Amino acid sequence: MTTTDIPAPAARKPGTSTAPKRRPKRESQGPAWVFLSPWVLGAIVLTLLPMAVSLYLSFTDYDLFNPPRWVGLRNYVQMFTEDPRYWRSVLTTLTYVVIAVPLQLALALVVALALKSMKRGKGFYRSAFYAPSLLGASMSIALVWRAVFNDGGTVDNLLGTGGWVNKPGWALLAVALLTVWQFGAPMVIFLAGLQQIPGELYEAAAVDGAGKLRQFLSVTVPMLSPVLFFNLVLQTIQAFQVFTPAFALSAGKGGPADSTLVYTLYLYDRGFVASHMGYASAMAWVLLLVIGGVTAVLFRTSRSWVFYASEGER
Amino acid sequence: MTITTTPVVRKPVAWGRIALHVGSLTALLVMLYPLAWLLATSLKPADEVIASFDLLPSHLEWSNYSTALDGVNDVSIWRLLSNSLLIAGGAVLGNVISCSLAAYAFARLRFRFRGPLFAFMIATIMLPHHAVLIPQYIIFNQLGLVNTYWPLILPKFLATEAFFVFLIVQFMRGLPRELEEAARIDGCGPFRSFFKVVLPLTRPALITTAIFTFIWTWNDFFTQLIYLFDPDKFTLTLALRSFVDASSTSAFGPMFAMSVIALLPIVLFFLAFQRLLVEGMASSGLKG
Amino acid sequence: MPGHRTKGFCASAAALALCAMLAGCGGSGESVGGGKVVLRYTWWGNPDRAERTEQAVALFEKQHPNIQVQTSFSAYEAYKQKLATQAAGGDAPDVMQLDYRQIDQYASGGVLLDLARQKAVLRTGEIDPGLLSTGRLDDTQYAIPQGRGTETVAYDVKAWKASGVPLPGRSWTWSAWADAMRALAKKTGKPGATDPGQSEDCFEVWLRGQGKSLYTEDGGLGFTADDLTRWWTFTDELRRAGVVSPAEQTTQLDGSVENTPLGRGEATADANWDAPASGFLALIPSGVALAPMPSGEDGTPGQYFKPSMFLGVGANTGHPKEAAQLVDFLINDQQAAKILGATRGIPVNESVREAIEPQLKDFDRTIADYQALLEGSLKDPPQAPPSGDNALQATFQRDYDQVSYERMSPREAAENYVTEAKAELRS
Repeated sequence: MTTTDIPAPAARKPGTSTAPKRRPKRESQGPAWVFLSPWVLGAIVLTLLPMAVSLYLSFTDYDLFNPPRWVGLRNYVQMFTEDPRYWRSVLTTLTYVVIAVPLQLALALVVALALKSMKRGKGFYRSAFYAPSLLGASMSIALVWRAVFNDGGTVDNLLGTGGWVNKPGWALLAVALLTVWQFGAPMVIFLAGLQQIPGELYEAAAVDGAGKLRQFLSVTVPMLSPVLFFNLVLQTIQAFQVFTPAFALSAGKGGPADSTLVYTLYLYDRGFVASHMGYASAMAWVLLLVIGGVTAVLFRTSRSWVFYASEGER
Repeated sequence: MTITTTPVVRKPVAWGRIALHVGSLTALLVMLYPLAWLLATSLKPADEVIASFDLLPSHLEWSNYSTALDGVNDVSIWRLLSNSLLIAGGAVLGNVISCSLAAYAFARLRFRFRGPLFAFMIATIMLPHHAVLIPQYIIFNQLGLVNTYWPLILPKFLATEAFFVFLIVQFMRGLPRELEEAARIDGCGPFRSFFKVVLPLTRPALITTAIFTFIWTWNDFFTQLIYLFDPDKFTLTLALRSFVDASSTSAFGPMFAMSVIALLPIVLFFLAFQRLLVEGMASSGLKG
Repeated sequence: MPGHRTKGFCASAAALALCAMLAGCGGSGESVGGGKVVLRYTWWGNPDRAERTEQAVALFEKQHPNIQVQTSFSAYEAYKQKLATQAAGGDAPDVMQLDYRQIDQYASGGVLLDLARQKAVLRTGEIDPGLLSTGRLDDTQYAIPQGRGTETVAYDVKAWKASGVPLPGRSWTWSAWADAMRALAKKTGKPGATDPGQSEDCFEVWLRGQGKSLYTEDGGLGFTADDLTRWWTFTDELRRAGVVSPAEQTTQLDGSVENTPLGRGEATADANWDAPASGFLALIPSGVALAPMPSGEDGTPGQYFKPSMFLGVGANTGHPKEAAQLVDFLINDQQAAKILGATRGIPVNESVREAIEPQLKDFDRTIADYQALLEGSLKDPPQAPPSGDNALQATFQRDYDQVSYERMSPREAAENYVTEAKAELRS
């Protein structure tokens, strides 16, 4: 690798900032806080404060209208021991994550690579592949999806499988496909990442006699790894929180027979339909902990495969 | 003999490219089919919008568009459009500025508690937004900002969308550090090296941020619904949903027509900005 | 790099302009009124209702030059969410439209004003006492009904006639209804009606036909798992026989008439509320007629005139008198009634109803005639359902989904529902 001879600066891993200062004194903290100031303000007023409130609410019985009543851990106990629908929503969400994340990322990466290798029509293809993502899971696209995946709809006609949106065993797949279909966001991020790879790295590799595959493995993959990591983390987080496609396709009900009642949809149902905002808040915090755990694992593994040019080390 | 060898060498390359295009076009056909359906449905008469599974309408119902173009109630479609543009434009500006500032600090500068603060920032993406909706509403209500555009735009200027901070951080970390070292030797402080060196090189990420912010804000029905009261302040996204009310009669046809109309500005925005995406590192003139 | 500097300048100029615009817009909120009292009034509905309401409100403003009314509306589902958030944030509007199912929650949550205190400006004398009492909770009048609706069996006249099955008469029992559906299914080769098993509303009609009710006076459950088992066994058998719509169709109901089997042309009849049934006309141009809901086997009617929409006044309003004046205007004013027509159901004010009935047109006419047919034969409506009902309505569908997809027997599902309902109503 051409980049390994970059003099490695101090290790920049999170959590080591209190390590002995090897930097010259002139780098003060002042500028950092100037850059951070909008974020700090937003984080305290618009993020931390509401989060603290929701954490408090998770220990209360709160119906949105009357003052919250402290109930200790009751919401959490009820969730884990008395609510079978809760566990079904957990299972549904996990299934969704396992289907949607790999499919969407793979599709986004393959299309991004194909686009990169194209000489002509790049702009056209990029726009066309992004087009579905412009829609979001709007009401009109949900109606289209329901028509395409219904009994007698296009998929039924082509594959003879019958409708998907109205069968408990298939509906979740239709929801996942709606997400996968809108792979534009990770695709654009991959493309932006590919654009950022300096061309001379490929030239240098070609001079070293590396073929296309070798170039891909030793230049593209490591240089793209921060972006790949970003997409993996964010798509996983977003998949755990999937709401809109399931809400739109099932008209907010999570049907048929609860088969698309994903975690956040059930949370919404508890909080805003049934007015158990305390319970919904408890669900939110359990989800945060689970996603936090999964993300921490991803960050841990990232040390072995994500390469940052700024750190010059693996 | 020497003449014939040239085409033989060229041919496999051409076939590969043709295969690439044929494959891409086939994939596109499948991908764009639902969009064609959306367009076709916007021209269907009322009794075919939901009930018919045919792609093409039996006859073209242009009145769907004239109904949609009348706007909702007294509010004209132009008003709705300019409201949507104002909100989406403000959000783009806010996110690009505030998220790149915060990202630079996280990616490049040293400060106390950087690790924990970064972890906290990532954690803010993990809490479902339904859980913080009411506290946030109360805050904006206390500030007297409900029924203004501030609750939709101000958070973007305060880098509350950690998605984009993290995105830009990842791109900045991908930049070789010696670029700034060089700038530092030239006497650049963190501010100048941010504006002169790092920001231009992060352009693909900034363009990406702009594109996503625009589209996502445009389509964000929920926040607009909660914070906007006055129909004069309504957006296209809000207006098109008002065509479908289960308790009275719905107008699915005009709703589809308005979806198509609401799609046009984001298509244009995407087409305009995606071109900038291509340039990136190659044209920035700072190849390292 | 001068290019970058220019762009930076443009960006900051744009930011400044934006701030100026926002400030301008922000100012036009509450403060503009020029010494006038400003009322916020929200409702749910479609653009047609919005247009008529705006006209009525304009008339009100003309009559009360010191009051300015800011109006806002959204579709029903969105409205519920928005109003709940506003109420939880202590920001409920001055005058709000409420559904039957919201009354208990909003009243017990302290969101609504006691309207009896504004008796001087808010007249209720011309409203049927039975209907008026539906807006009362613990002897306090929290909301006033605006219009009334009732359930109906809407059917495709042409298809029904073509099948040769005798048309429904002025009344029928549930077993007569089931026989008619069987005959229709046999003749037409498709289900006769939407599976009523998923509908809490239909179950209530069936239950009342047997002299029972969904909820007791004190907000407990008014029926047993046995009752529900019998209902679901009844509908389950019809569904298995193809007499009512299959699970795959029933599950796609989203409240709109377009997504009902009748609206899709996959059935001949549909039990629905009378006002939204007007939507069928656009889908079945050859004609839709309304038949009464089936009654109990001894002829006891199960359906009732339901207050379709209420008006309530926010407890936090700074202008209770003016808010009450607006409510009074919307409910009692003859001119307002002429503008509003039947857009919120047939008016509950009796003299208003008599005045506007002759001028009703099209499907409004059909609905008025249908309601006139039932006048006098129905029992009083139940009091507003307890707040837990919001959750239970969805639970009812969920549990019945388990029956219609044959994952549970009617008995199992019914016991599930009753357990959940008891827990919900306790909390």
